[in-house]
Amino acid sequence: MANFFPRWTNWLPLKMMICGVVLVCAICGATWYYDTPKYTRVGYQPVQPVPFPHDVHVTQLGMDCRYCHGYVEVAAHSNIPDTQVCMNCHTQVQKENPKLEPVRSSWTTGQPVPWVQIHRTPDYVYYNHAAHVNRGISCYTCHGEINHMPVVYHAKPHSMAWCLECHRAPENFLRPEDQITNLDWKPDDVQPAGFVAKYGQPAGVKDDWSQKKHLTQTEIGLTLKQRWDIKPPTNCQGCHR
Amino acid sequence: MKRILHHPAPSTTGRQYWRSLGELSDTPDFREWLEREFPAGAAEMSGDEVSRRNFLKLMGASMALAGFGLTSCRKPEMHLVPFTKSAEWVIPGKFLYYATAMPRRQGAMPLIATTVDGRPIKIEGNPLHPDSNGATDAFAQASLLDLYDPSRSQRFIRENKVSDNATFEKYIADLRPKMAANGGAGLAFLVEETWSPTRERLRAELLKQFPRMCWCVFEPLLSEAQHFSTQISFGDSTRLIPQFDKADVVVALDSDFLNCGEGDLTAVRGFTQRRRVREAKDSMNRLYVIENRFSLTGAMADHRLRFPASQIPAITHALATKIAAATKDPGLSSVLITLKAPTRIEKFDARWLEEMAKDLMARPGASLVVAGSHQPVVVQLMAFGINAALKNLGTTLLLRELPKTPRNSSILQLASEIDAGRIQQLFILGGDPVYSAPRTITLDRKTKQALDWPELQKRVPDVVRLGHYEDATSGLSKWHVPAAHYLETWSDGLTPSGAYVAIQPMILPLFGGLSDLDLMSMVLGRPKVEGPELVQETFRATAPPGDFETAWNKFLHDGSAGHIQPKNREPKFNGNTAGGVAHTLWSTDVAPPTKDSPEIVLVSSYSVDDGRYINNGWLQEMPDPITKLTWDNAAMMSPAYAKHLGVKDGDLIEVTVTEPTPKPPPSKPGQAPPPLPPPHALMKRQLVIAAVIVPGHADNSVTIPLGYGRKHTGPVGEEAGFDAYLLRTTSNPHFIVADGKAIGSVMVKKTAGHYALSTTQEHFSIEGRGLVREATLERYRADEEFVTKIAGDEELPHRLPTLYTHPNLSAPQQWGMTVDLNTCTGCSACVIACQAENNIPIVGKLQVAHGRAMHWIRIDRYFASAKPFDQDHGQWPENPEIVHEPVMCQHCENAPCETVCPVNATIHSEAGLNVMVYNRCIGTRYCANNCPFKVRRFNFFDYSQRPVGKTKIAGFSVYQEYLGPLTDKTPAETIKLQKNPNVTVRMRGVMEKCTYCVQRIEEAQIAAHVRAGASDKTLIPRDSFTTACAQACPAEAIVFGDIKDPETRVSKIKAENRNYRLLEYLNVKTRTSYLARIRNPNPRMPDAEEIGVASPEHEKGKAVLNPMEKT
Repeated sequence: MANFFPRWTNWLPLKMMICGVVLVCAICGATWYYDTPKYTRVGYQPVQPVPFPHDVHVTQLGMDCRYCHGYVEVAAHSNIPDTQVCMNCHTQVQKENPKLEPVRSSWTTGQPVPWVQIHRTPDYVYYNHAAHVNRGISCYTCHGEINHMPVVYHAKPHSMAWCLECHRAPENFLRPEDQITNLDWKPDDVQPAGFVAKYGQPAGVKDDWSQKKHLTQTEIGLTLKQRWDIKPPTNCQGCHR
Repeated sequence: MKRILHHPAPSTTGRQYWRSLGELSDTPDFREWLEREFPAGAAEMSGDEVSRRNFLKLMGASMALAGFGLTSCRKPEMHLVPFTKSAEWVIPGKFLYYATAMPRRQGAMPLIATTVDGRPIKIEGNPLHPDSNGATDAFAQASLLDLYDPSRSQRFIRENKVSDNATFEKYIADLRPKMAANGGAGLAFLVEETWSPTRERLRAELLKQFPRMCWCVFEPLLSEAQHFSTQISFGDSTRLIPQFDKADVVVALDSDFLNCGEGDLTAVRGFTQRRRVREAKDSMNRLYVIENRFSLTGAMADHRLRFPASQIPAITHALATKIAAATKDPGLSSVLITLKAPTRIEKFDARWLEEMAKDLMARPGASLVVAGSHQPVVVQLMAFGINAALKNLGTTLLLRELPKTPRNSSILQLASEIDAGRIQQLFILGGDPVYSAPRTITLDRKTKQALDWPELQKRVPDVVRLGHYEDATSGLSKWHVPAAHYLETWSDGLTPSGAYVAIQPMILPLFGGLSDLDLMSMVLGRPKVEGPELVQETFRATAPPGDFETAWNKFLHDGSAGHIQPKNREPKFNGNTAGGVAHTLWSTDVAPPTKDSPEIVLVSSYSVDDGRYINNGWLQEMPDPITKLTWDNAAMMSPAYAKHLGVKDGDLIEVTVTEPTPKPPPSKPGQAPPPLPPPHALMKRQLVIAAVIVPGHADNSVTIPLGYGRKHTGPVGEEAGFDAYLLRTTSNPHFIVADGKAIGSVMVKKTAGHYALSTTQEHFSIEGRGLVREATLERYRADEEFVTKIAGDEELPHRLPTLYTHPNLSAPQQWGMTVDLNTCTGCSACVIACQAENNIPIVGKLQVAHGRAMHWIRIDRYFASAKPFDQDHGQWPENPEIVHEPVMCQHCENAPCETVCPVNATIHSEAGLNVMVYNRCIGTRYCANNCPFKVRRFNFFDYSQRPVGKTKIAGFSVYQEYLGPLTDKTPAETIKLQKNPNVTVRMRGVMEKCTYCVQRIEEAQIAAHVRAGASDKTLIPRDSFTTACAQACPAEAIVFGDIKDPETRVSKIKAENRNYRLLEYLNVKTRTSYLARIRNPNPRMPDAEEIGVASPEHEKGKAVLNPMEKT
């Protein structure tokens, strides 16, 4: 009886299996990498009705975040400013700028400016701005260098793993309460002597940190964490209700 | 941008194709059919913008686009839309609280409405006002859903055609000269009771313009008997305020004073305050109840006598005679002397009454006898007399002065006016008289035939009806005007105790409704006002101290006017007047009901009141506290009587009430006697209704809750239950019994057919388990630790180890709860409060029958009796007592649910909460199976997003939940507005359960952290917040707080010796604990041995390790 199958078919199952494994690995790997907020969200920079330049307003003009996002310290939402807030200045400044047309027309018609949402938490996540900015977490920690962005983009992944990075070790991110909206703050800016005089040192630390030349972020963070009794929830109900 | 594609216009020349003759001839019918696209009723949305068709279109388009550019891989672009100008006080996402009040027939209930982004999402009681003290009842909680009910009336309708506000205004302007003719003699108002001083003021102004107009107040459940009796005994413009907190002994004669649905939360609070025993030496009040059916009050009774409602006059007479004989009180005697002693009276144990009377008389000035508001005038008068004889007037019974108002007409007077043809313009403000007015409201002048309200209303040429729904009354009115909800209007009101409160709107009328004040001001010919001007004018007239603006703002802030203090009057019982009235109204020959001639008792429904909440899904699905019936009413009867009729739960019975056969008039000699009317001309009323068996119901008595069987309301209420108003006449508002005068015979018989009833609890025996622990005060005093010695829950000798890893309970504050069974009345306010707070969906009648009700709190109702009974074999307790026990997630520290979850969707928090993570849940339901308390609820369908319940498709009744994706997604937009933004709306396939209102805990936690700022003071202040159920409870039975701090209310309560935990032997260590119930029977009463028997003491030395092994 003749061989129905030529000789090369002997290897076919193995080849197919290898291909299959490679394919499955590729799919898993691609999902792993591409289907996470790290890839899908970071860098998202939609076209806004008005290309609001944060760099001009914050870095050049020195405006505080809370001039526009006024409720960030009291509410869960950090509000987008009303047209009224824009018009506080823009009735005087840049009155004719064509880029500001949507704002001006909003002011005259009463129809709000439809800003495109960039940072969005899922519906089952209850993020609270007030709880963070009042307790030593800067805008920078989650939103990146907003003060240098000509147009805002999504700078950090905002995934759950990323949230937990800080909730498990807040000392890596905490900063003094008066530096929250200073987005250019660096741990090196801290004067160790003044800092230790104000906040003390964590219990159990033997060396005198006020004598140090610089304090690291972790040292600052540990001090504040203990001083303010920072215990971020790592339990589900902290964010999911 | 949405593009609208226009098809090219069809050419009118050349060859044409046609599909039917109709199309060829282009008839209007065909055009309509063509434009409708679907045959009538097929898959049409009720006014929603996104129809299924549009949805499919969009879906199709996006699928097509997905193929081209993978655009759908990106998340959809969403917009952040700020205000253009900032609104005062509004911080996006932050709650605002406003004081308001809910108008009720007994007086307004002071409330606080929680609003977020301009929409009210929750109702709480106003803690600044003693008439609410922060508590509410189920109706107030659920009234929020009515606000958003999409089937509320939204259109002006003139003679069954849609019209508008402008046309209506013109109509009223044109009508005004006609109304003014003859001093307004042709004008009549038929209004609901709202206790609004502003409405009274506008009424006075109307009277100036139309001095002869008729003003009629009609509330089907507002008792005229009680009002009338108070006025004749104590003088005009008065109301009796019982002080339950001062009464040691309370006797309720068919009175359901603990039904907070009546709007009187102070009675519940006052009464339960006296039942709170902290230690054995504390005293307790004692409650005697005589009633025919189990009411909430009866369930709290220490001694309860089941007795036909129609025999209450007789037993009241017997009680009054005993007390009059002992006290020799002249007032009571002068009433009794005019009354002939009843000859026929239902049998009862004379010692029972004797001892009760002695107990009453032993506490003069600290006892109270309350008669049911619908009992006849004579009963009320005797009850007043008894209270006077017991020196209770001025101590436990206060007489409150009400503002003097002109007398109201009754609906009977209005009916005869209409019959006489005098009424030309009728304004019906609220209510639904076509549905709820008494039958045979008057006799036709000419034909002497009985007339019902609908025929009368048809005779009035101009009827304007302001209503919340397009219902039966609207159908017979010339104009239907949509009414605004109380959360949409400016108004004011008087509370049951007579305090002046503000009603302020939370939102502009969603559906363009008008308030009764708007309409009256329109009739007065005044320009329309948008703001509070009408109420302000009334408020100004009360002369508030100081600057008006400040006083007004304080009024709105506090919700009530502090400068107006209700005045009490010295109550003097006028025995002579009362005696005279009693004499004329007394009838002694009412025979006790028998098997063949039972009595029918009509009562208000605990779920839908008089029918006004029939379209409220929350209330429809709220299990009746006694029968645990949802979505329907049913005829309640005792097991013995059901046996006699041969019916089981759900079997249909036919109730027939006929008028008496008229006696032939004495024939004059020499003349032939006038012929009798043929038998079929006799008025005969019939009602076919499902039966439900309730132990503890009086025999030969059938109780039917009113308010159901309403035909024309929204989709929720239609076809729910049976309409008992069909049996209700002017002379029989409460009980129907064959008395030979108004009623000839009452017949109840079984009829073919069975009606499916949905109950949430079919089994009601405790089976000797220690779930509910109860003792008499005596036993408690003898053994303070009795809770540990309850049979069925013998304590294990040592503390059990646990195999499971214990969560690290390291949080500085640990949450826990207590439920005091001694004060819980079972009113179910907590159930609805929880539903409103936690976005709990309703599931419809079928799903309830499948045991899929979603309530996070269920109130278990157990019957207990001294004699053992076996429900499974048809042995029912005859004279049982009821214990209510609210059960929610117990937040076990060793939670059995957590260990079986394969995806860690339910875990423990450091603060001791058993946390449910919806976004992790995959719906295996292992947790629900492993829960010993059965408190976990599973979303079998997309209850929150898709419709449930029956719908008609091609003539067939289909349960929509089974159609799944074929139904329209998204509930009405307005219903979404009610949702609490701080709680996830759960989807299909997800488990859920009580979370101890984790959103409130987190809210408080975050607020504490924000306050702490750069410091370490992060603790939530002691007792600064509570859960929704605890906040709503009028009896303060539920207490929530930090159990780690020994100074909190909950810790102090947990330290009491009545505290116990459910299923302690399972070693699950629940965080919710219960306080055992204490009954206070009178040891001299004949039934004293049968009280407080729900949990017998276990025999010493017989402790079993595994109680399940016990047989």
